[in-house]
Amino acid sequence: MEITFTLNGKKTICHIKVSTTLLELLRETLNLTGTKPGCHEGECGACTVLINGKSVNSCLYLALNTNGKEITTIEGLTKPNGGLDEVQESMIKNGAVQCGFCTSGMVLNIKALQLETMQNKKVPGSGIKNSPNRNEIKKWLEGNLCRCTGYVKIIDAAEEVFNKGK
Amino acid sequence: MEFEIESPKNITELCKTIKSYRSKSFRFGAGYTDLLMELKKHTPRNLTVINLAQLKDVSFSSIRSTTKNIQIGAMITASKLVTDTRIEQLFPVLQQAAHNLASTQIRQVATLGGNMCTASPSGDLICAAMALQASCEIMNDDKKIHNLSIQDFFIGVRKTALKKNEFLFAINIPRNKKRTATLHSGFIKIGTRKSMECSVVSLAFHLQIDKTGKIIDAGIAIGASAPTVKFAQSACQFLIGKKINSFSEKEKEEFANKVLSYASPISDIRATAWYRKEVLFNISKGVLE
Ligand SMILES: Cc1cc2nc3c(=O)[nH]c(=O)nc-3n(C[C@H](O)[C@H](O)[C@H](O)COP(=O)(O)OP(=O)(O)OC[C@H]3O[C@@H](n4cnc5c(N)ncnc54)[C@H](O)[C@@H]3O)c2cc1C
Ligand code: FES
Ligand code: FES
Repeated sequence: MEITFTLNGKKTICHIKVSTTLLELLRETLNLTGTKPGCHEGECGACTVLINGKSVNSCLYLALNTNGKEITTIEGLTKPNGGLDEVQESMIKNGAVQCGFCTSGMVLNIKALQLETMQNKKVPGSGIKNSPNRNEIKKWLEGNLCRCTGYVKIIDAAEEVFNKGK
Repeated sequence: MEFEIESPKNITELCKTIKSYRSKSFRFGAGYTDLLMELKKHTPRNLTVINLAQLKDVSFSSIRSTTKNIQIGAMITASKLVTDTRIEQLFPVLQQAAHNLASTQIRQVATLGGNMCTASPSGDLICAAMALQASCEIMNDDKKIHNLSIQDFFIGVRKTALKKNEFLFAINIPRNKKRTATLHSGFIKIGTRKSMECSVVSLAFHLQIDKTGKIIDAGIAIGASAPTVKFAQSACQFLIGKKINSFSEKEKEEFANKVLSYASPISDIRATAWYRKEVLFNISKGVLE
């Protein structure tokens, strides 16, 4: 079947088999391999993408349900001039990247939290707030596993993004 | 994973689709976090998925206040339940259960209807909705709605009372008895690790307390302790009419034993039956401490 959606700012039309997951469509048809396949079961978060600004596991999402929606993958996070997003900059600065397998998912999920708090002035589950504290960041990132860093530097990187906005 | 798909755009189309698949094999798909996991392991031949994710009807995916109830559409996601201020104020137990379901990414798509209809004994939203004594609005392919109490909705491990031509449309949660009532309401989930865990046991409680400290209504439900989530009726009865701050050690234990009488846990990969009972006893007692 044919689906139409906006991928990293560009209108995209694809012909897909109906049972294709978004993860398969991105990596195998569209060659966007920045989105990583880890567990394929919603446990690891390596496959995280943004759908209408919300973080979602692409391994458990049917590609056909992206019809009419806006998808952002790690390839689309860079600024129009090619510069990195502030979340990416902060990850580098804080030494939060080792093998890198979890990184695109981590970056996009931190981005989702930033979008959420900017738009709603709310940290979900913690009431009205302009920025999350360390524990709220940890809670938000529960669904992203990292086998290398031990998480401390990733959380440092996220915290810095939010502290900058203060 | 091979299947066909039907994506109705509204409830009338949905009902038509269900009718035309009466004698064929189909499944509903909402947020797909349970369904795709199941189909990735095994997809029966000639399966059609009736996709609920593209329905445009707001009633199916909104939270509405009526004089008696708060009605929550089946397509409401866990993350909506976390951020809705009515749920936060009126039913903290449901907000907490939603906030502790899986992960941020899964909460964005996982629906209340999907949680209910998977009917897992450890379904977190089920447990909270049961403590809140919700009722289920079930729609059939003639667009007729009937109501069923949440306790009658679950008939066995992963089995609901839904017939083939029916789907869950919404749940109705009765408003708290008094606007002025103080709430002691929360969700306790014990797992082998803190995040992303299917619970070893869970307990949902929603107590309404009047100005004098008297408990005027109580809802207690337990998860992962029996073939279905259970409403601990006698434990609720025990609390009603008593003062929240006056429980002796003996009464707390009596209450915990009443909760425990609804548990018939199994030993599995996560915990032994003995451990589940010990934990359930202790967290039950903790509700009154
Ligand atoms: C990694 C991971 C962690 C998880 N952690 C938790 C957890 O902590 N707590 C918890 O409770 N669950 C957990 N789950 C299970 C799952 O996410 C929830 O049960 C979720 O609420 C299911 O909703 P869904 O919309 O994704 O359902 P779907 O997968 O779309 O559907 C589930 C079932 O319900 C049926 N269905 C859906 N909607 C309707 C309807 N309106 N009427 C009739 N039938 C319907 C479908 O046919 C299917 O059989 C987890 C799952 C994963 C993958
Ligand atoms: S690959 Fe999607 S969560 Fe692991
Ligand atoms: S950097 Fe290797 S998994 Fe996170």
